[in-house]
Amino acid sequence: MKTRRDFFRNVADGLHGAALASLLGQDLLGASYDLKPKRTHFAPKAKSVIQLFMNGGPSQVDLFDPKPMLTKLAGTAPSRELSFAISNGDTPGMLMPSPFNFKKCGKAGLDISDALPHLQTVADDITIIRSMYGEHANHEPALFLMHSGRTIASRPAIGSWVSYGLGTENQNLPAYVVLDDPKGLPINGISNWQSAWLPPIYQGTRFRTEGPPVLNLEPRAEIPAPLVEAERGLLRKLDAAHRLARPEQPELDARISSYELAARMQLAASDALDVMKESEATREAYGLNDPATASYGKRCLMARRLIERGVRFVQLYIETQIFDSHGDLEGSLRYACGKTDKPAAALVRDLKERGLLDSTLVVWGGEFGRLPISQGAGKAAGRDHGPHGFSVWMAGGGLKRGYSHGQTDDLGFKSAEDRVSVHDFHATILNQLGMNHRDLVYGRNGLQERLTDQFPARVVSEILA
Amino acid sequence: MRCLTSLLLLFAGALAAADLDPGVQTVFSARCNSCHGAAAMGKLDLRSAESALKGGASGLAILPGESAKSLLMDKVVTGQMPPGKVKLTAAEMDVVRNWIDKSLKSPVAAKIPAEHEIRGILQARCVACHGADQKKGGLDLRTNASRLKGGKSGPALVAGKPDESLMLKRIVAGTMPPDKGAKELAIELPTDAETQKIRAWIAGGAPDFVQITATPDAVVTDADRKFWSFQPPVRPAVPSSSRSNPIDAFIGQKLKAKGMAYNKPADPLTLLRRAHLDLTGLPPTKADIDAYLADKAPGAYARLIDNLLASPRYGERWGQHWLDLAGYADSEGFGQDDGVRRFAWRYRDYVVRSLNADKPYDLFLKEQIAGDEMSDDWKKAKGVATLEMLDRLAATGFLRTTPDPTNSAERGLISERMNIVADEVEVLSSSVMGVTMGCARCHNHKYDPIPQRDYYRLSAVLQGAYDPYEWKSPNKREFDLALASEREAADQHNAPLKIEQDKLKEQIKTLLEPFRQKLLDEKLQALPEAVRNDLKVKEADRNEGQKYLAAKFKSTLEASDQEVAKKFPETVRLTRAQETELQAIRGKMKPKPHVRVLMDNEQPSQSYLLRRGDAVNFGDPVEPNIPMVLQNAALKPLSIVPPFPGTSGRRLALANWLTQPNHPLTARVAVNQLWMRHFGRGIVASVSNFGRSGVAPSHPELLDWLATEFVQKGWSMKTMHRLMMTSEAYQQSSQVDARVVAADPDNALVSRMTLRRMDAETLYDSLITAAGRLDLKPYGPADDVAVSDDKEVTIKSTPAGYRRSIYTLRRRQTPVSLMDAFDQPAMTPNCTERRQSNVATQALHMFNGSMTWELSKYMAGRVIDEADGDREKEIDLVYLRAYGRSASVPEKQLGRDAIADFRKQWPARLATDGNEAPRSATANWLALANYCHAILNSAEFSFID
Repeated sequence: MKTRRDFFRNVADGLHGAALASLLGQDLLGASYDLKPKRTHFAPKAKSVIQLFMNGGPSQVDLFDPKPMLTKLAGTAPSRELSFAISNGDTPGMLMPSPFNFKKCGKAGLDISDALPHLQTVADDITIIRSMYGEHANHEPALFLMHSGRTIASRPAIGSWVSYGLGTENQNLPAYVVLDDPKGLPINGISNWQSAWLPPIYQGTRFRTEGPPVLNLEPRAEIPAPLVEAERGLLRKLDAAHRLARPEQPELDARISSYELAARMQLAASDALDVMKESEATREAYGLNDPATASYGKRCLMARRLIERGVRFVQLYIETQIFDSHGDLEGSLRYACGKTDKPAAALVRDLKERGLLDSTLVVWGGEFGRLPISQGAGKAAGRDHGPHGFSVWMAGGGLKRGYSHGQTDDLGFKSAEDRVSVHDFHATILNQLGMNHRDLVYGRNGLQERLTDQFPARVVSEILA
Repeated sequence: MRCLTSLLLLFAGALAAADLDPGVQTVFSARCNSCHGAAAMGKLDLRSAESALKGGASGLAILPGESAKSLLMDKVVTGQMPPGKVKLTAAEMDVVRNWIDKSLKSPVAAKIPAEHEIRGILQARCVACHGADQKKGGLDLRTNASRLKGGKSGPALVAGKPDESLMLKRIVAGTMPPDKGAKELAIELPTDAETQKIRAWIAGGAPDFVQITATPDAVVTDADRKFWSFQPPVRPAVPSSSRSNPIDAFIGQKLKAKGMAYNKPADPLTLLRRAHLDLTGLPPTKADIDAYLADKAPGAYARLIDNLLASPRYGERWGQHWLDLAGYADSEGFGQDDGVRRFAWRYRDYVVRSLNADKPYDLFLKEQIAGDEMSDDWKKAKGVATLEMLDRLAATGFLRTTPDPTNSAERGLISERMNIVADEVEVLSSSVMGVTMGCARCHNHKYDPIPQRDYYRLSAVLQGAYDPYEWKSPNKREFDLALASEREAADQHNAPLKIEQDKLKEQIKTLLEPFRQKLLDEKLQALPEAVRNDLKVKEADRNEGQKYLAAKFKSTLEASDQEVAKKFPETVRLTRAQETELQAIRGKMKPKPHVRVLMDNEQPSQSYLLRRGDAVNFGDPVEPNIPMVLQNAALKPLSIVPPFPGTSGRRLALANWLTQPNHPLTARVAVNQLWMRHFGRGIVASVSNFGRSGVAPSHPELLDWLATEFVQKGWSMKTMHRLMMTSEAYQQSSQVDARVVAADPDNALVSRMTLRRMDAETLYDSLITAAGRLDLKPYGPADDVAVSDDKEVTIKSTPAGYRRSIYTLRRRQTPVSLMDAFDQPAMTPNCTERRQSNVATQALHMFNGSMTWELSKYMAGRVIDEADGDREKEIDLVYLRAYGRSASVPEKQLGRDAIADFRKQWPARLATDGNEAPRSATANWLALANYCHAILNSAEFSFID
């Protein structure tokens, strides 16, 4: 049997190659925690997840959840409960119908609004959950809830839990990659993908989508390239001598390996993100040739390249709060959908065509939905945050296709039937990856911590294929 | 025979269960009755409705009609019950839930709610306006007496008559809580269930509060109290030994028993570097090395330790350890709410100063838990404090470290306030008490005898200061108090800026004047002519009627600059230059010096056990107390006496209780932490968990000897450092062979020193020290960080270089990239033990990052200055600065060759970039910089032997 020490002996002898753990995140010393593939609790349906996070809170009644009653009651005053839901300092408006028409799409006749023409064409491949509900009407806590299961900042993100539970299949890339928008970090910044008290190797790794993917990946330009190599040569000699005088110290082997790996990482990460290696037709399909969709399309395509290479969890963010439609409801939704609809639909179609949709779970949604009443007046009217009922969609990964689950009330305000909590949502994602949310635990301070914490949670079995 | 017995048992079961619904009976018999049947484990018997309703050792298991509040459902839903792998299915849970909610005849549901249940609801929904702090409409809703008395609109409560009781009528009508005010105070609307409960209580005659006599928790037994860490330490005899340091007697005895012995001693320079880095967090300088090697008199090493303990750098190093435990950060929270805490640094400075002064640990703790309650001198100080007074208040920053986003009303819901309290309880319990309380927020502890009630007892101690129902946001916790010198400095700094400011404001006013007149004319035009004429009369000439009108139409007669700018947007361009300057001046102004204090509300509201940790799911009322398992005949009980009016005295009581000399945990936890920092592993390896789920101590007698010694030596931390570091155990070499590793793989026996990687702060501080860029200026506001376009976070230098890492801004959202990569914790909420990872990102930051290269160039420059053109001397100086030792002959050869090799590459590059500096000298310098860069990147630099 090979021991950890044998492993490091090999490392020191230069036998790296594919056997080595992830270039970026792997704790080379970590005896107890690593990114090697783990056994699942039961046979998984999906191997990886692409989360298309729609920052701002997409409006369910304008995109996925048609409400004829809103049209009927347009302009009438809402209940006290509904009007109380408006933000502090704002005057609640009247009930406001959607400016968009809905179509019955695909063979299944799924209701999807005309704001999402491309998604309409893949309706038979997705499952919509219309009965999601959250706990908080503010972006920060709602984001924490969607990512980590609690409205507070101090818990590991779902991507960290998944990497901890499953490890990764490609040891040359991180298990959990974040592709944030080059225009800026989302609300809550880096806390969205933190591992909190899970070991740091499970933290999300940000790959920048322009320039070198990782901070300080490349040597400083002012130092001549041959000199960089010469310096590395000296460093190798110094460390080898140091290590030789100190046997039985695996930390030192790990340390030497970390430098070797860093030197070679540039290639692996850059290759994974190089969308120019894709065909012109593929790039066109993702919208890379259109300025409106180029940025998000590029990230969707990168996401596919990453999960093809075995990355476990890829998380995409979009321009700070693009779906936060407080004003000009129609215009702002057209803008947000105009950037994201085509790439997201292309991703679903592309995964399907490549036979990857069965093993990949695509998840689309934001931190909450929006209220069925207006905020502001006239053309400038928008909708305020609505955490009590909202929609998300998922595709692939062993879910039903062309299916919708749950309902909100007649006005689309609150989740009403087959309610799905964020904990249910998390439990379902873990379930498709072959993990029971009750059994994916991490011991901390005498507590068996888990993503769903102590909250009741159930797998939404109705949406499973 | 066997058959017959089973039959009889079945029969008996059927008889007893006759009153259970068949569905529930099936579930109970399949899942529960094996323990909660005839065996009645936890005194709970679930074989009949009658016995089930009686409850068990943890109290009532079932509240008829209220499954959400029933302990039995709690246990089932959270998977605590049944124990083991097999849990109830969702369908089975529904059966039980339905039975509790619908089928159970509900003698309790029909009961009149107790006053304390109503009080909880009112606390959550009403007392923010109608309570101790504010009595809007003259109404206080906290007690029956004040409810009956009512306010301006009459009595709020008419016992027996819900429809005549204003407090209910207003809720039902939807006018209370009012939309606007409620949102500003982050109040949520009462639920229907709550409204119904208030109705039932009033209808039932509104019975008054009845003090619940505390029943002892059946889950905590005397046997539980006998667990070693819950009993006061007893000083053991030191084993007889030839060694003079008692530590060595204990360690040596155990090693001997295993057939092992101490490793060889470390060589002097290794020990020198180890001691320097350990006690001061900085590598030894050349002067330090020379002085140590020159001291040939006996006791040189002990003198070294004394000198290092006397160095101000000691407090900066060990202060960081303490700040880890406290969860210190300079910002309010995470994400968008991550605003800078302007005066957080006072707490950091307090810690550094206290450690340097070797403040006794008991006093150190007491000040941090209850500095504000130790004296009321600060309330009488009229804004000007002594340093001692200021420090005592700043000390309470210990329980003010965790993220607190409640400056924004939208982030101030009761549930979020509860999260802040929970974080503080965690800081307190993990760092000082060594018990894990977090899980008891939602349910009884699974492994330790800590009932859920204990969590709420302890959080009730903090409720004086952290009252979730009458909350103070961080801004309201700043107290106007500072040193006279700070006030003067701020005033002096701001005075010329203020003059400038006034000038600009005057200019703006003049520029806006024509517009203001236009606006005022318009406003007046809207009034009836008669009024207008009256208002036009000059102030001095107004008669009584005109004065009245002027007061009434005050807003019509005035127009602020903001109002004018809003009305005439074109004026924005007009005043832009002045506004920009004003903004710049505001940026330059020093804030009025304040201090952040944790202070009490005079009358904390009632505390409750919150079922499943849900902020408004009220269980029984609880009183402030310490965990039951620590109620010990050998200890004085918690004794709460307000030390002066305006404060509850709860935290002072806790501090006094914790710092009793024979406290079972306080001294043990503290010495164990010191031991862990010196030796790499605690005597109790789970440093924050001394309970049953923790790791048993490797040397229990040594731990108790150290704990009692600590108290006997007046809780002096420096005495403990000296004791530990002068032991032979500490002075061992870290060199190890396979045989020793096999016998003592985790070094639990202390058979050698543990080789360690520097933590983030030591690495950073060592880098700037080796380069010669260390700015030793202590204390004061933190140095800012810079965020590059790439989002790399670096520290901004001062004119004198870089200050130590402890004085740089710790914002949770922008951790310094280099330190983040080296496992600097994110403070969620605190960190009791650092991790030590080895990942490639560390190499990227060290090898490719800007900071190490800039420092390498600086270091090379200083070395060249000092070595006077002597290459050998240069190499030796680099070794001394980085490794704390001289270079050997082969090392010098290696260095010479490498530098010569590097030197060849530079001229071509320098020829292309239009550099005016002498190229030959520059190439020499940069080649040496490359050499320094490699050395700073080498393992020997960042590992400590």
